[in-house]
Amino acid sequence: MSATAAVPAKAQGTGYWGGVARRFLRQPLAVAAALVLLVVILAAIGADWIAPADPFQTSVARRLAAIGTPGRPLGGDELGRDMLSRLIHGGRVSLAMAIVPVAVALVIGGFLGVLAGYAGGAVNMAIMRVMDVFYAYPSILLAVAIAGALGPGMLNGMVALTLVFVAPIARVAESVTTQVRANDYVVAARLSGAPTWMILRRHVLNNVAGPVLVFAASQVSVSIIAASGLSFLGLGVSPPQADWGLMLSALRQALYVNPWVAALPGAAIFLCSMAVNIVSDGIRRAMELRR
Amino acid sequence: MTCSTKLRRFATALLLPALMGLASPVVAQGTLRVAMTLADIPLTDGAPDQGTEGVRFSGITLYDGLTNWDLTQAERPAELRAGLATEWAPRPDDPTRWIFKLRQGVRFHDGSVMNADAVIFTFERALNSNHPAYDVSARRQLQAFIPAVKAWSKIDEYTIEIETNGIDSQLPFQMTRLFVVSPAHWEAVGRDWNAYRRNPSGTGPWRMDALVPRQRMELVPNREYWDAARRPRLDRLVLLPIPEVSARTAALLSNRVEWAESPSPDSVPRLRQAGFTISTNAIPHMWPYTVSVLPDSPFHDIRVRQAVNLAIDRDGLVQVLNGLAVPSIGNLTPDHPWFGTPSFRPRFDQAEARRLLAAAGYGPNRRLPLKFIISASGSGQMYPLLMNEYVQENLRQVGIDLELQVFEWEALRGRRRDGAQGASNRGVHALNNSWNSMDPYNGLLRFFGPNELPPNGTNWGNIRDEVLEGLAERVKGEFDPQRQAALLAQIHTRFVDQAYFIWVVHDVGPRALSRRVQGHVHAKSWYVDFSPLFLR
Amino acid sequence: MLRYLLRRLAYVAPIAVGVTLIVFLLVHIAPGDPISAILPDDASAEMVAEARREYGLDKPLPVQYGIWLWRAAQGELGTSIRSGRTVASELSMAVGNTFILAVAAGLLACVLGVALGLVAGLARDRIGDHLTSLFTLAGVSLPHYWVAILLVIVFAVENPWLPPLGMGPDSSDGWRPDWAHLQHLILPAIATALIPMAVIARTMRASVIEALDQDFVTTLHAKGLLPGRRLWHVLRNALPTTLAVTGLQLGNMLGGSVLVETVFAWPGTGFLLANAIFQRDLPVLQGTMLVLSLFFVVLNLAVDLLQSWADPRIRRA
Repeated sequence: MSATAAVPAKAQGTGYWGGVARRFLRQPLAVAAALVLLVVILAAIGADWIAPADPFQTSVARRLAAIGTPGRPLGGDELGRDMLSRLIHGGRVSLAMAIVPVAVALVIGGFLGVLAGYAGGAVNMAIMRVMDVFYAYPSILLAVAIAGALGPGMLNGMVALTLVFVAPIARVAESVTTQVRANDYVVAARLSGAPTWMILRRHVLNNVAGPVLVFAASQVSVSIIAASGLSFLGLGVSPPQADWGLMLSALRQALYVNPWVAALPGAAIFLCSMAVNIVSDGIRRAMELRR
Repeated sequence: MTCSTKLRRFATALLLPALMGLASPVVAQGTLRVAMTLADIPLTDGAPDQGTEGVRFSGITLYDGLTNWDLTQAERPAELRAGLATEWAPRPDDPTRWIFKLRQGVRFHDGSVMNADAVIFTFERALNSNHPAYDVSARRQLQAFIPAVKAWSKIDEYTIEIETNGIDSQLPFQMTRLFVVSPAHWEAVGRDWNAYRRNPSGTGPWRMDALVPRQRMELVPNREYWDAARRPRLDRLVLLPIPEVSARTAALLSNRVEWAESPSPDSVPRLRQAGFTISTNAIPHMWPYTVSVLPDSPFHDIRVRQAVNLAIDRDGLVQVLNGLAVPSIGNLTPDHPWFGTPSFRPRFDQAEARRLLAAAGYGPNRRLPLKFIISASGSGQMYPLLMNEYVQENLRQVGIDLELQVFEWEALRGRRRDGAQGASNRGVHALNNSWNSMDPYNGLLRFFGPNELPPNGTNWGNIRDEVLEGLAERVKGEFDPQRQAALLAQIHTRFVDQAYFIWVVHDVGPRALSRRVQGHVHAKSWYVDFSPLFLR
Repeated sequence: MLRYLLRRLAYVAPIAVGVTLIVFLLVHIAPGDPISAILPDDASAEMVAEARREYGLDKPLPVQYGIWLWRAAQGELGTSIRSGRTVASELSMAVGNTFILAVAAGLLACVLGVALGLVAGLARDRIGDHLTSLFTLAGVSLPHYWVAILLVIVFAVENPWLPPLGMGPDSSDGWRPDWAHLQHLILPAIATALIPMAVIARTMRASVIEALDQDFVTTLHAKGLLPGRRLWHVLRNALPTTLAVTGLQLGNMLGGSVLVETVFAWPGTGFLLANAIFQRDLPVLQGTMLVLSLFFVVLNLAVDLLQSWADPRIRRA
């Protein structure tokens, strides 16, 4: 949608991407957000080494312990487990729940969209009308209904979210591909008899990848929120795994007793989603060629 | 606090009930608003859905059974008392035929008379699919709760006979669930049970004044209720379905309700601080793991069953739940007349648990993998995620890797109906389903023997035990209450010694009450009598 | 225009059919037996079979779909397994309630979103733009159900300014636009409006910038025309897209407020749907999904048509 506006007129070669990188680095906020995101991702990957305590070790005495309690630097959760360690491990699950569906949807939706856009005609018609069917549901409703039908669990939640993101990504990919296909240099290449795969690789993919990736990146933040919402309803991750949504849900009663500790999972979701949004915004701005 | 104020409070505490007894019971006193945990008003047609909470709010309020539960005291487990029947007994010549004498002079809310025809009509509409008033919904809600009933007939205007499937002394307990409905009113609303639900008529102490589906049910006193002692003192009882626990807490703290069911453990300190009372009492309920004793399950070995029972720190869990549970070391609490004298006592002894596991062939080099199926929420399931995570950690300490497979409540009930032997439950070693234990059948008899295998019963784990099965046969033929209790105690003793369940806690039916709520008796029952309540 | 309209309509019909197919299949991808929710704990095999027959679940899937579609086409959505009430009556009440919330939240989101977007667009790349951008980014980044819980704690519990839940005062027998009811609307509307507000603001900003870049505005500016005139031109060019986005967000809110409705015990479609899922009340689940998604399809179409009517360039070949 908004990404379609960002279609570059002609965007190939390292010069263009170098320019994008330079323009991105000129935005201090976006760089800061990227750093935050990097830290979160590294912490998630290295959770087993970084987390100071065992995220499953309960301690009745340290239930809802305050921030700064010895052995519980960020307090204790409803079973007295270490919040900091649980946030780090939970981040791994939350990020996986957010990124995997978008990534899978990117592959499926991107493929379908490019195929529809490049082939045009009946193929386009067939693919895009099917996509329209999935587009016909408010996104959270679709995710809740599918996850509800499949039952709780991380995998089911991921399947539900993936189905939500395929159609929008396919739409963006299709519309960008259609525009690129009509460009002079592609038409010229086709007329000169270049093989389809080469046109696709050299011209289409190069030009389509950027906007579609930026759009997909912006969807990661939608996915973080939606995934946590599923967990909140009891339709997402199930114990002993805990994502931030499930932690938020389990701690929502403790908001009355120890608000600072109980608010941490929500704050983590917010921080992460905000960082994703700022970064994808920053990339989009960096890709907009000033007139 | 000085000595004299203490004394004065003590005196007031003694005097107040006496003073209240003097006050005229017909003086109406306030509107009580109750936050239920349900998502909708339970069905109001005398066959309430949504389990015991449905019976609590839409059953015993609007209706009476032939027998009722006595909810007037909080010390002993609730007992049966006369309801719409004044006396009942099996015929001396044929103990499968029971005579119920009905109470005379009772009228339904619509003004028609309650008599033998009404009771027969109530049976027909639930169990006779050829009757014009047959209602499939009533059958669904009732059939499982009155399994003893085989046939029914009218003897005279105020006497009926009920025939049981074989000799079954449990019939009077089951008759608490048969809420008698009005045939005249059913005719008046156009022979339509949906219309009856919108405008119900029972004999109960409350009549329905308003019903907004999914939002609110309002009850007003039935001033002509046949039991003068149970005529409600409140002006009005408003029941609100609020399934989200944080919304119930908010409703209490902002004075939108005076009473909330099942507050969450974490909100307890805040509610106490705001002046609310958290009322609890052990209710006939258990929150165990029902294990599979099939040959391919590790629980086939009694040592494993005992070891897991010894690995769980029940007191710690109760502490985590802020006191909203009591430890469970059997299907019943130790003070229960049927508890018996089991020699195996599930206590917290991880060293002994490790020893038993080692004897069964497990140890640090061969950890025991187990898989339990649990629900994320559900009626009577208490706080399932929190509690299961706690147990999971307990078991890890003795060398058991417990995998929890979480289901949404209805899906878990499906798994329950499949039994451990079912294909869907292959590789599953236990089911975390809470059970009510308010009568001998529900508390003990349904968990073993070939007749109780799912889908017909709840012997989920395929327990076959000749000792238990022999005792169960004797219970069904024993009509003397004391000898019956002695047999039940033997059954429970055997059941615990064999460690057929992994017991964790009993629910305490927690409810948060505003200080304005007076006259509340927290009976040892799933149910509550709203009649004596009033607001200060 | 007419040809375009017909073509759009021709697109919508197969989409609608696809939607019904997915809604129907939704119930059948569920693990476990849909019949188990209907029955008591220890129902006999005979009762299971009877219930299966009664709900037509014993027939092959395509036949079930056909029967279901045929009935749905006649407005016959079945009855709730749980309550025995018709799905249509359950829905009509819930849709009305959600509509009230969606309109209130939509208005709030639209007013705030347009204002913020306008400020950001006019102050492009200056401090005003950055601040509003941060604000709107926060709007889409907050878990709105969490915000809802916090709002209740701050504005209803710790400070008893507003009611924490429900649609109206205790004895209310229907919604009315008076203060007693409106105050119940405030917190849920804020929580629901967060995301649409941000989306509208971002769209508005982009449209304003696009309009500002257009030659005629630059010319007007060069001619030294009054800022008021210039603003009017910008608004006139930016509003159609923004309104279209608002319309789509309205559709989202009608179905997408599951979480907020749960927190506020707001008896709308989201509440209905969530509880239908947990109680495995399949006719209600199917009926709600069907009505909401068809409504969404129609709304999409309407927005599309309106937009192409306002801006003919949009009509795609």
